[in-house]
Parts: sequence; structure tokens; C-alpha cells
Amino acid sequence: MKKNYDNNMREQVYGLSKLGKDQYELLEPLTRKVLTTPQIYSIQKIVLTGCGDSYAASMFVKKTFEKLTKLPVEVVSALDLARHYDESQLGFAPHNPLVIAVSNSGTGARVGEAVQRVRKHGGFVLGITGNKDSVLGENSSAVLDLNIPSLPPAPGVATYFVSILSLLLLATRIGEVRGRYTMDYANVLRDEILSQCDSLIPTLDDVDLKVLSIAKQWEKNEAWDFIASGSDYATAWYSMAKVMEATGQYSMHINSEEFNHLNFFMRKTHSINTVFILSKNDAGYSRTLESIEYSHKLERPTLIITDDSSLESKYTNTLVIPESKVEEIPYIFQFFPTALLIGYVMTILGEIPGRGVEGLWDFAKDGKGVKDSKIIVL
Amino acid sequence: MLSNYKFKTEFNDVFDIREFVFDAVEKSKVKSGTCIVYTPHTTAGITVTSFWDPKGFEDLQDEICRLIPTRVDFKHQHDTPFDAAGHVKSSLLGVSMSFIIADGKLLLGHSQGIYFLDFDGPRNREIFVKIQADN
Repeated sequence: MKKNYDNNMREQVYGLSKLGKDQYELLEPLTRKVLTTPQIYSIQKIVLTGCGDSYAASMFVKKTFEKLTKLPVEVVSALDLARHYDESQLGFAPHNPLVIAVSNSGTGARVGEAVQRVRKHGGFVLGITGNKDSVLGENSSAVLDLNIPSLPPAPGVATYFVSILSLLLLATRIGEVRGRYTMDYANVLRDEILSQCDSLIPTLDDVDLKVLSIAKQWEKNEAWDFIASGSDYATAWYSMAKVMEATGQYSMHINSEEFNHLNFFMRKTHSINTVFILSKNDAGYSRTLESIEYSHKLERPTLIITDDSSLESKYTNTLVIPESKVEEIPYIFQFFPTALLIGYVMTILGEIPGRGVEGLWDFAKDGKGVKDSKIIVL
Repeated sequence: MLSNYKFKTEFNDVFDIREFVFDAVEKSKVKSGTCIVYTPHTTAGITVTSFWDPKGFEDLQDEICRLIPTRVDFKHQHDTPFDAAGHVKSSLLGVSMSFIIADGKLLLGHSQGIYFLDFDGPRNREIFVKIQADN
């Protein structure tokens, strides 16, 4: 236990294994009932939406949804869905698209506005929220109830994880009912999700020790880049968001191709914390590896988070995490090393998460900055 | 004597289990008795039909599916439509059959085969064969 630098984000990470098992027991039966078989069979297209961490969770599961349901799947930000998504794509067939909107609080105005727009034009909304009485809950066609225990406040770790878990269980259920695979294989998918909760535990302490060391090396650096490809990109997005929320530092997510067109040009390379997230089965693996080489040539402080243990001997600052044993299910805890790292940097800097919504941020107390936005249903 | 046999099925399979049953009868050394063939699954059934034409097996599944089509609005929604239909088919067809053992062999008509019907395959399945000798 790193008592000097312990923080609520770290505490949430250490609680993920138990949380995962508890939440699985709650959510698995709910995902069987929340959509009826006729509703599942009527789906022609799925749109995943949310803001912040929920948006990142949607990105993380998109590929799994595609593989398991064999349906077209889009991830659309709440703003885009609410204001910019073409109206002809809503209600193009009865109860279509299926829009799955994730928000634990359910109170964000933009998500609430987006789902109202979807329903106005004939789409079907499944709200995933811990608050049925929220603007999201009340405007959803169906609600998957989240019941996340209250935890010491921290930039989202547990809520992000539960969003991913609920989405993966839903994807498994939709594919199962539509006969994309047998019930036996659906249970293989479910068992993999559950077994990953145990596989997290043996790696925690080792990774924890390493990221604390990295955090101490990196504390004075000014900016962060998170680089990845495919589903890994969601972890890059999430990590970027946590840096902003936890440390207030400048942060960017970028895919491993665009890194070489954009971030590559930044000066002060020694002070840009550069984190690559790389799954060995990611189709963009080779490009991400090239970008890692370039990052080292640029003398950027570089960290690689990967399930490919062969990289450990090639690059210092390589954190090896467990891999999924089932092709369709990603490693759902891929985000935990960056959550630990960012928590430590936040603590070392003495930074208050979310700026404490004080001073210049005072106007955003009680989430007013996201809750009180004018709702316009187009 | 109780014997257990495990096997893998295909979708809508009509799986020939005669060799399992003959094997159980032979091992039992019973000359005169009864033989019960039973499956513990709830989306499968046991039946006897002619073995001469494999197309007849397709007819069997086709007619069962015509009588009990897989549809999306079964009241049983916990699993899948195939599972829900499979439960009904299994209940109507039955999960066990009894046979006669005479002169150490199963008494079967010259066209009769014993089949395991899968209504929710492909799956790993099993049957049990119970042999009881006459006094």
C-alpha cells in the first residue's frame, strides 16, 4: 500500500475486481430482460452515445458490438446525435436505430436532448443509467438500471468500468438472441468477462509499483499524448480525459497514424508524457509500433501499456497487462494502469480533481456546466 | 446397468444413437429385459424413425419446426427463440423411450433406427441407457 500517495482513483482501481464480480451478478440477468426478443430482432442499426467517460466506453465496445451482433454500429457523441445527425437516419424503420445512451447520473443535458430527439423521430432508446428519474431515464424507451455503490469521489474509474461491463453484456445478449452464436458460446463470452475480474488481481501490485515510479519521473512534465488504434483508442481517449480532470494538465488523444502527422511536430519533446496503448491483436499494431520507435527517437518520455510481453525486453517503461482469452471480448481493465498513473501524478502535484469546482470553475458546481445547458430538440 | 454416452450435435440434428444403445445392451449381457434410453436435456428428444432415407430425417425436423416454429414472441424470453421453441418440441416429443431386449439383442423393426433430435444445436449432448433384466 503506497500510503503517501494513496488517492481515491487508486482506491477505485483496487476495488475493481470485487466491483466487477458484484456488478456482473446484478447486470447479467438484467441484460436478459431489458430488451424483449421482438425488440432485439427489430434492430437494424445500433448507435452508442454518451459524454465524457461514457463516450469512451462506447468507443471501447464498438468493435465487440459489431463482431457479436453482426449489425452496423456507430459511436456518435451526444452533441452530434442531438444537433447534427441527419434526421433521415432516425426512425428509418420502426424502433430504429437502437440508440444505447450511457450516463450513470442521467442528468447531462446533451444526452437527454439527444435521446429526446431520437424518440421524437421514431428511434428506440435504451438508457443505461443509475437514475431512472433523470432526463435520460425518463426519456428512454427502456432503462438498464445501474446500481453502482457510492465510492469516495474521484475522476471516474468505477463508473467507466461498469459502463463497459453493461455494454459488453448487452452485446453478448443481442448476439445470442439473434442466433449469431449458440447459448453455450454466449456463456463462454460471459465467463470470459467474469474471469477477467480475477485476472486483474495478480497484476495490480506490480503495475502499481511501476506507475508510481513513472509518476515521480514525469511529475514535472507539462503535457500528455495518448496514442493507440482500434479499440485501444478508447483507452487513450479515457486516459486523456482523466489527465484533464485529475491533474488539469494539457492532454491529447490521437491515433497511431495521425500522431505522425500532428503530434510529431511538438517541441519540448522531453516534457510530453507519451503513452501508447497497444494490444497485440490490434490490426493497427505495426503502425503503433512504428510510432513508438519515433517517440523514442524524439526523446519523449514514453510508456507502453500492452498485453504483448515481448515488448518488455525491447523498451523500458513497458507495462504488461493480462490479455483476453476470447477474441471477441477485449481486456476490460485495459485502462487501469493509466488510472493509477494519473491518480499518482494528481496526488504528487497536490492537484484537486475537477479543480474542486472552485474559483474560476465555480459556475460548474453540482454539474451545472453540463446539466443546465439549454435543451433544443431538433 | 446404467451407461452414459456423450456426443456433439449439429444444428437441427437427427443424431443416430443406435450404436450407443447396442453397445449398452451388449455390455450388460442381459438376454431378456428392457432398455430405457433417456436424455437429460430440455431442448432435445428421443424418437424412432426409419433409417433408410436421410431425407426423411430432414422431413422430421421440418415438420416439427412447422408445428412449432421458432418465433420471437414466446413467453419464455430468458434465453433465445430457438431455446424457447426447443423446450416445447422436447416436451411434445419426449426425452425417453423404452425397448425390449430379447435373445440378448434389442428388439427393433427392420427399418427402425433410434435417434436423438437436437432442437437447439449445435451442442454437447448426452444420453443414458438403462438395462434391466427380467427376473
